[in-house]
Amino acid sequence: MNTLLQRTLPLLVVAVIIVLLYYPLMIWANSPVAQRSLETGADIGCKTVSECVYMLRNPVIPAPAQLGEGIKSLTIPPLAPTSAPYNALVTLGEAIVGLALASAVGLLLAILLVLSGSFERAVLPWLVASQTVPIIAIAPMLAVILGQYGVQGWFPKALIAAYIAFFPIVIGVSKGLKSPDPLQLDLMKTYNASRVQVFTLLRFPASVPFLFTALKVASTAAMVGSIVAEISTISFSGIGKMLAENSRASDTIALWVIMFYGALLGIVLVALINLLERMVAPWRATRS
Amino acid sequence: MASYSVMKENRPQASRAWISWTLVLLAHLVLFFISYTLNQQQGVSQKLLLQIVTVLSLFVGLTAVGLVAQNRRDFIPAALLFTVSVLFVEAMLRVNEVPAGLIPTPSRVVVALYNAREVLMLDVFYTFVLEALIGFVAGIVIGVLASMAVARYKFLELGILPYASIFSSIPIVALAPVMVKAIGLEWPSKAAVVAVTVIFPIIVNVVRGLQSASPLHLDLMRSYGASPMRVFFDVRVPTAMPYFFNALKISTTLSLISAIVAEFFGTTGNGLGFRIQIEAGRFNFDIVWAAIVVASVIGIVFFSLIGALERKVTGWHASYRS
Repeated sequence: MNTLLQRTLPLLVVAVIIVLLYYPLMIWANSPVAQRSLETGADIGCKTVSECVYMLRNPVIPAPAQLGEGIKSLTIPPLAPTSAPYNALVTLGEAIVGLALASAVGLLLAILLVLSGSFERAVLPWLVASQTVPIIAIAPMLAVILGQYGVQGWFPKALIAAYIAFFPIVIGVSKGLKSPDPLQLDLMKTYNASRVQVFTLLRFPASVPFLFTALKVASTAAMVGSIVAEISTISFSGIGKMLAENSRASDTIALWVIMFYGALLGIVLVALINLLERMVAPWRATRS
Repeated sequence: MASYSVMKENRPQASRAWISWTLVLLAHLVLFFISYTLNQQQGVSQKLLLQIVTVLSLFVGLTAVGLVAQNRRDFIPAALLFTVSVLFVEAMLRVNEVPAGLIPTPSRVVVALYNAREVLMLDVFYTFVLEALIGFVAGIVIGVLASMAVARYKFLELGILPYASIFSSIPIVALAPVMVKAIGLEWPSKAAVVAVTVIFPIIVNVVRGLQSASPLHLDLMRSYGASPMRVFFDVRVPTAMPYFFNALKISTTLSLISAIVAEFFGTTGNGLGFRIQIEAGRFNFDIVWAAIVVASVIGIVFFSLIGALERKVTGWHASYRS
């Protein structure tokens, strides 16, 4: 109990400091905007700058009351096609399907990399190079091309998410499959174990921790992929579509609310993977 | 005697290398020939034949690359894989007469790269120099200062580190539009997005690095009566270096990606992200691909430069001993 307090108290103090800093920061950021809107002489429902910073139509940083109002209007009713929770669920679904596709392809490539030295020498440099490529740049183009071939709706987004997420999985899993030490491999050889047995009994169990670390990296990537795909294609739902729409309409309060939902989504996805890890590999989860 | 046996062992390999090189060359030539002799429309049966030949030469080429890869440990197999794949894509697109507005052939991309070189260079200046690089440096400075404070005070570690690890699981795209709207359409808004995305991996890694100093070394320093400053610079900083460079390498990619994504939400009309989005909307995919090629080359060069710096600074580390 005492250690719990020791752990949570600093977290709370930092949170309180951030909240206390929010007001001065908001007033400082919004003042120039308020000044400018007052000078235009338009009726914006306030007389002085210090009053206006709380009720600007497009604040740089929204006032807490505005933010609360924005969250309420975008959340209720939660399953309406224009509400943030519904769109967040759509994006989450795309990211999860993408992640599943990415895991399948990534696992296959990782096994090939471990099985064949020639395959590794020819392909691995390109996989490593692709890590340094801003893959996100390919998303808008891929989205348009897939649309041309009649692949529309949520599937192209999942495909793009998978395309962006599969590299960390290949690299992570192949490292994991190679992680048994030579002693263990030698032991398997003295038992006259077949290649399949070496994989199922030794290499796969050894790669599980690496798989989950890679999945966590890949999940953020998949989320980014599906959001970017939604921004750059014709889409009717999803966080990305809401971001693009409100960015065009300059509705900053909505942008802030959607940002919070996006953050929540990332955290939920990583938490889901942690849960999965606890179920699949409890020995690993309890150790860390 | 020894040299004789080595020669004898190499013989069969040498002959197989000869065969595989011939096959590689053959595959390249056939694919090249198919690509550059097609000028008029083909009939259906001719098209089918060409498709079969193209796929067959890809298969031969890949098998031959595999054979070459069996006894070469350098970059040549990877380079051959690249040329075979590019030529295959070129041939396949030409045989099937895929319109250039949909998927451009690699040769068109090269032409576009040359024609649009001035625009692309300006885009690179905006995206890489102004946005990614300035944001990268700013993020590193803030991140390193923050992690020094976090490593020094237990209270900050407990209070800030959990937030940092949560923050790193947030998709950056959700942050970009807010920052662009808040700071403005010019390049500083993108540099700010880059800085924010870079800060958190730096903090998480550098703090772990600063804390990973071995207790034995710290005890030794204490027995020397070394000042805290000396301990910090002589023990903690060197131990943190590999972690720091690891974070830097992750950040090179992150900074480019964030700069490009942030440009999707509004710019003053320059930058690779802007170019990619606007030209994808106009179906000018040759320029889009050219921009992607440029972005990739920058990414690879940036990453390699940091890697070279790492080798120079932490060459003593275990991962470079072989």
